[in-house]
Amino acid sequence: MINELLRLEKISKDYGPNTVLKDVSFTIGQNEVVGLLGDNGAGKSTLVKIMSGVVPMTSGSYFWQGEQITNVNRTETERLGVETIFQDSALVPQMSIARNIFMGREITNKLGFMKVKEMDAIATDVLDSVVTIEGIKSSRQLVQSLSGGQAQAVAIARAVHFKRSLLILDEPTSALAVRATEALLAYLTQLKGEGVSSVLVTHNLHHAFQVCDRHIVMNHGKKILDVRREDTSVEELTAAVVEGETGVKRFREGRF
Amino acid sequence: MATKKLDPLIEAPLTTEAVAVSGRRMSDSRPEGWINKIRYNLQFVRGRGAFEIGIVFVAIIVVFSIISAVNPKGFPFLKAENLSGVLTQSVPMLAILSIAVGILMVAGEFDLSLGFAITFNAIVFVRFTDMFGVWVGVIGGILSGVFIALVNAVIVVYTRIPSFIATLGMGFFWGGASIFINGTNAALLNPELTKDGNPFEFIFAHDFGTFRSQVVWLLILTVIAWFFLHRHKLGNHIFAVGGNSAAARAISINPNRVKLLAWTVYGLLSGFASVLFVARIPSVQPGGNATADFTLFAVAAAVVGGTSLLGGRGSVIGMVVGAALIEVIKNGLILAKAPGFYLQLFVGVTIVIAAIFNRFMEGKAS
Repeated sequence: MINELLRLEKISKDYGPNTVLKDVSFTIGQNEVVGLLGDNGAGKSTLVKIMSGVVPMTSGSYFWQGEQITNVNRTETERLGVETIFQDSALVPQMSIARNIFMGREITNKLGFMKVKEMDAIATDVLDSVVTIEGIKSSRQLVQSLSGGQAQAVAIARAVHFKRSLLILDEPTSALAVRATEALLAYLTQLKGEGVSSVLVTHNLHHAFQVCDRHIVMNHGKKILDVRREDTSVEELTAAVVEGETGVKRFREGRF
Repeated sequence: MATKKLDPLIEAPLTTEAVAVSGRRMSDSRPEGWINKIRYNLQFVRGRGAFEIGIVFVAIIVVFSIISAVNPKGFPFLKAENLSGVLTQSVPMLAILSIAVGILMVAGEFDLSLGFAITFNAIVFVRFTDMFGVWVGVIGGILSGVFIALVNAVIVVYTRIPSFIATLGMGFFWGGASIFINGTNAALLNPELTKDGNPFEFIFAHDFGTFRSQVVWLLILTVIAWFFLHRHKLGNHIFAVGGNSAAARAISINPNRVKLLAWTVYGLLSGFASVLFVARIPSVQPGGNATADFTLFAVAAAVVGGTSLLGGRGSVIGMVVGAALIEVIKNGLILAKAPGFYLQLFVGVTIVIAAIFNRFMEGKAS
């Protein structure tokens, strides 16, 4: 049994009269890569926002390493070490790489003034060592001059540098070229070795299947499948995503 | 790193081969020799606003100086009174407002009530001076600026209506409020205060011959604003929120708090500028044009200096140089005895060209 990192129990979320999530429970273990799959509108994004503390849940419990967190908000999840990389909005394009890496966690003197040279130097070091990224000239380069893949890599480098324990990636591969996607998926595996768990939210099953140890499939706000990689196949996941519960049932009956 | 058994059908790129291809490290590629160092550093200055507009500004100063040297009577640009009047009196007023508006724009906000607010702050300053003495008046004028800015801020931040429309409405409100408390007559500052030798006059409006007090204030405020916006973590947060507030929020910066901060700084600077304005004139006319013009000129100066209307981009030096550029062009036209409409024409064209230029350079920034 893997040690649990994050456990969600019976999470529900209503937006006014609309129920977006209904009684969703799952666990994310330490050193585990979990794929969160589902069609558009399945409730993946809401779940991500609840995990990262951006949006409060309507009901349910949030456990971190076995301890219940009563007041889940962004400050709290930041303290726990949860970092979310949203598809297009992980970084500020008009700011330099170094400033992005240290955004909100600036190295300052007692008066709050930033030690710019130190930040630049550390950022360079992070980019050189944590994740090797091709084609970046300097940590002073603006993020807007980077490609989608390079920007994702910078966001990941930031999470690793600050020793985040859970990395949530929301549709990270949708804007990336093939090569950049491969590199990104490789990082996730690499991170696992360094003690960082990640949740990969995607509707590209092939990408998820390559790296995830476990898959959670969502459908209409409910969890319909939670399987380890060994116990499933791309075909079953496809059936679950496309057809929902009936798909899982049909596939299992056909298989066994 | 640990290898893991994988589904043989779909092979994951487990090794870092795909990643570490070039093997070139950034820390190894540092430039050597001073000329290469300058070149290396220059690439990070390009396209960020201040640099390009600085070159244009220097070019215009050079051209004006040459014309003035050739024809000192027809175009007395280099005359001491003129230089001191433009560079050390007109420029500081607009430049301080440009810094104020620019910081707000970097945060992604915008204020159309500035001109009306200046009138209101100035009236508060004059009235408080009459009642409690000049130093209380100065503080009152500045706090009035902060108060008006915070009213705007609370409306914009908590109702999420665009600052454009909120401040348009509030501008009319403060315009009306100025007439309500003062009537339509000009509010006159106690004339004793602006006599030569009065401490107030010495600090805020003294003519030292080659320069005036205002320029000292501009230098002080530029340095403070620069350290705040470009070197302090709060300034960094303003850039982050203005550039991409979702990314800032994801990293647990509170965008509302940062926006309130930007509005407060804006209020402090605009309140201070209101005091400088009265110290120079020394009266203020509710409903007059003198202050109303500042609303858009301050925005124009910030935009000319490379500040983005969409937020996240701008530099204090650019804002100051942008204001200086507008004032110097204005001065050149006045000296050339161009009719008034030329002034509007030229300033208008300058602003549009600068905006297009900045848009173009923004893409080139690296």
